[in-house]
Amino acid sequence: MKKEFLKIFAYIYRNYIFAIRNIFTFFDILFWPVIGILSIGMMSTFLQLDKQLLSFLLTGTITSGVLQVTQLEVSYGLLYEIWSKSIKQIFITPTEHYHYIFGSWIVGTIRGFIVFLLLSIISHYLFGFCLPKINYVIVSLLGIFLTGLILGMFVNFFILLYGQKIDILAWSVSILTMLISGIYYPVSILPKWLIRISEFIPLTYFLEYFRKGYGFEENFRYGLLKGFVLCIVYSFILFYLINLAYNHTRKTGTVIRLSE
Amino acid sequence: MTKQVVIQLRNISKTYTSSLFLRKRKTKAIYNVSLEIYQNEIFTLLGPNGSGKTTLLNIIIGQILPDNGEVFILGTKLKKYVPEKIKKRMNMCSGNPNFPWCMTVKEILKFYGLLYGISGKKLSQQVDKYISIFELEKYADVRFDELSTGTKQRLVLAKSLINEPDILLLDEPTLGLDPEVSIKIRQFIKKIKHENNTTIILTTHYMKEAEELADRVAFISNGTILTIGSIEEIYKSTKTTNLEDAFLKLAHL
Repeated sequence: MKKEFLKIFAYIYRNYIFAIRNIFTFFDILFWPVIGILSIGMMSTFLQLDKQLLSFLLTGTITSGVLQVTQLEVSYGLLYEIWSKSIKQIFITPTEHYHYIFGSWIVGTIRGFIVFLLLSIISHYLFGFCLPKINYVIVSLLGIFLTGLILGMFVNFFILLYGQKIDILAWSVSILTMLISGIYYPVSILPKWLIRISEFIPLTYFLEYFRKGYGFEENFRYGLLKGFVLCIVYSFILFYLINLAYNHTRKTGTVIRLSE
Repeated sequence: MTKQVVIQLRNISKTYTSSLFLRKRKTKAIYNVSLEIYQNEIFTLLGPNGSGKTTLLNIIIGQILPDNGEVFILGTKLKKYVPEKIKKRMNMCSGNPNFPWCMTVKEILKFYGLLYGISGKKLSQQVDKYISIFELEKYADVRFDELSTGTKQRLVLAKSLINEPDILLLDEPTLGLDPEVSIKIRQFIKKIKHENNTTIILTTHYMKEAEELADRVAFISNGTILTIGSIEEIYKSTKTTNLEDAFLKLAHL
């Protein structure tokens, strides 16, 4: 058990070093989320939206910032080694995929929580935004962190299969997901076929729950339960797929090419 | 006294398949290779670029799955996954060392030590020990992207010993290094063998390096083993006095 924790801790240590030494990791948590909250907040002020609608939009912006930072960090867990061309060095050690995934996710949740605090404070002072009751905040945040884990693993699966050439996926997958999950609007306004898809995305339910805290009605029954069940099911499926992808890279020799 | 076999390859073959649109291209990397490597020997795979040396090393370390054949490491047959107990007892050093660019020498060694399950006082001792052995004190707090090629090479050697492996794979460890650094690296390799009782599998295309280090040599060309034996045995069987001539003779048979 101790050794398992040590291996996860090794990746926490590595991601922490990357986070404090690279300017792009500061941009991830400071620049883009703050730009997002300022632009949506000012647009809401210009449109003279009431407090409830303002909350609807700002919860979307905060969720977007937290989700993207968490998901990116999980993807960085693999990308740091791909960019450094040292992936083979990692795979020859007695570690498994879950070690770097969980290690990176833990750092991702810490960075995501920093984004959450930062955006909540800024939106409170500039736009009069208040967080809902603590239970809504804790449960929604947990759901967003779990969605970040799943999306990060989804990206890692494709990176293992296709290498650095598709690393752009790391910056686009959470944006696409947010679009379908009703980030700035209720999913009920989406075309029917998109609503069907959104039902398979856990973020849809966590966003709804967050907004329930401001009195908005939920579109789906047992939303929260569905959200967490989907997270658990997807994480098992993705761990399996990541192992398959890794074996595929060992068959094709990609794992060696990624280290040269 | 019978020598203990630590690595055994039986009829290993590997063909890489790459596809461009619908056209598939197959490259035979290894063909029907069988060999045994004994405890505490320096076994050298000698051959030109593209002969299959690195593929063979990567099959042994479990990073490439062979199409056919069986691999036994420390008495355990490797299946789809390399068991943790085997991974813990092996390590590898590549001639083209790469590590996360923003981590310092000390941090890299600490990181890899943790991955091998070493912690606390033992980890600090191991890190300090290998920093000292490979004369990296001056660079302990220098980032990887600021190191010279020779220092990077010493670092990757230090990393490959952090878990004190029973089996060490060295893939062209002196590739592209100046003669002075190469001599030092070769001295380190000899020292590791004698002090740690380590089995070393070394790939190189420098004949002189093999002559200096190897207990046994395997000539490899186009993915097949041409011959295996001690240097003296190879000289005797090929009626030559150096490995270069012996290789040329065997390769053109």
